[in-house]
Amino acid sequence: MGPRANGLWIIILSLLLAYLLAIVPFPDWAMHYRPQWVAMVLIYWIMALPYRVGIGAAWFAGLFMDILEGSLLGLNALSFALIAYITLSLHQRLRMFSALQQSGMILALVGLNMTLTYWIKVATEQTDAGSLLFLLGALSSAFVWPWLFVVLRQLRRGFDVR
Amino acid sequence: MFADSRFDYLDRVRFTFAYLSTPVYWVADIPARASSWIDDAFVSQRDLIEENAQLRQQLLFAQRELQLLAGLASENSRLRELQEASQAVQGRVIAAEIINVSNDPGSRRVLINRGAHNGVFEGQAILDAHGLMGQAVEVLPFTSWVLLITDSRHGIPVQVNRNGERAIARGSRGDAPGLELEYVPDTADIVVGDLLVSSGLGQRYPKDYPVAQVTSVYHDPGQPFALIRARPLAQMDRTRHVMLVVPDDEVIGGNSIEVIQDFPAPAPLPDRNTEAAAAEKVTPGPDLTQSNDDDSQVGAQGDL
Repeated sequence: MGPRANGLWIIILSLLLAYLLAIVPFPDWAMHYRPQWVAMVLIYWIMALPYRVGIGAAWFAGLFMDILEGSLLGLNALSFALIAYITLSLHQRLRMFSALQQSGMILALVGLNMTLTYWIKVATEQTDAGSLLFLLGALSSAFVWPWLFVVLRQLRRGFDVR
Repeated sequence: MFADSRFDYLDRVRFTFAYLSTPVYWVADIPARASSWIDDAFVSQRDLIEENAQLRQQLLFAQRELQLLAGLASENSRLRELQEASQAVQGRVIAAEIINVSNDPGSRRVLINRGAHNGVFEGQAILDAHGLMGQAVEVLPFTSWVLLITDSRHGIPVQVNRNGERAIARGSRGDAPGLELEYVPDTADIVVGDLLVSSGLGQRYPKDYPVAQVTSVYHDPGQPFALIRARPLAQMDRTRHVMLVVPDDEVIGGNSIEVIQDFPAPAPLPDRNTEAAAAEKVTPGPDLTQSNDDDSQVGAQGDL
């Protein structure tokens, strides 16, 4: 008998907070530095609870992100599903990593996510093919990750999310 | 994704899901609203009095200009009547507020707090107090996305206020928000400081609203077209209060139909109606002759 499911509302609440952080207005110069909160929170929950949060959940989270951003339906859904798959297949190694190594993985995963959405946006003429400055978001995500990880782990242990 | 970019049946899905996303935007806007509320609540009385006096003075000036404008408008409409041109459209406006900006650095879009339930429609023009801002591109139930004129995928037909030179102003690529005039020949009479107003040619934007001011004109001998940059007059990143233009296009339609009817149709008249027609043609006025022509044509068809 597996562990009883518990604390779904914590997962949903953390995702909602991530959505809020993702759309809170930033000044123009800081636009590129916005960390990818939703992707990071998703990666955390997939890493911690791979039997509860998986590719399907990531897909729906991405769909909601699309609606929130007003981007093409399925754009974020696809890229979130992709990084969810990668995280699922790596989650046991990810758990063993030090904070620095984890940050490196986050840099790669979030960078992949952003590159994919950027490519699709350029292909569908949603944005201009310009500089690669958008990847700064991946860098800031990697920088924020250790703190986010600690906060989410405290949440998970405190509320006994399983 | 492919379906969404190519077809529009997913618009309905998006519209329905937007009921879910609206509360998130409402919550995300709380800090901004709280800060403006705090600004309102904790302001000293002296500041208020000062601001009040300042506003009074501005209102006075504005009203003086409005008086002049009323005179000019009536004169203008008289002149237009002389030329039998269609009346310029002066639509109503709905006030709205910007509640969010797009988090995608590559596109310039803002979210306003008016949607389909407030009568917003796709393509509706958005103004602020200083000039045109953009148009509604995605209408959701209670909110809508507005594409700003500085977005690089947005073009707006403009004309130079000084001499009526026409051009298309496109949002500039890159990080600095601005406009570029596209495909303007080197010989065009556009100089730095010219005011660009909307020409209304695309039938999206109302005519004669200020859009931008020319900031630089560069003639590259190796290029067929001049490189002209302009600064939008609307305060894209500072203002929160905007207006939606509600056009009433009945004026244009009615006038154009009347103009067409002014030409009498040279139809050969049958014998019975010629006398009546001749008798009525003595009475002046284009309307009567028009109705007379109609009658005679009906009579002619009845004979056949």
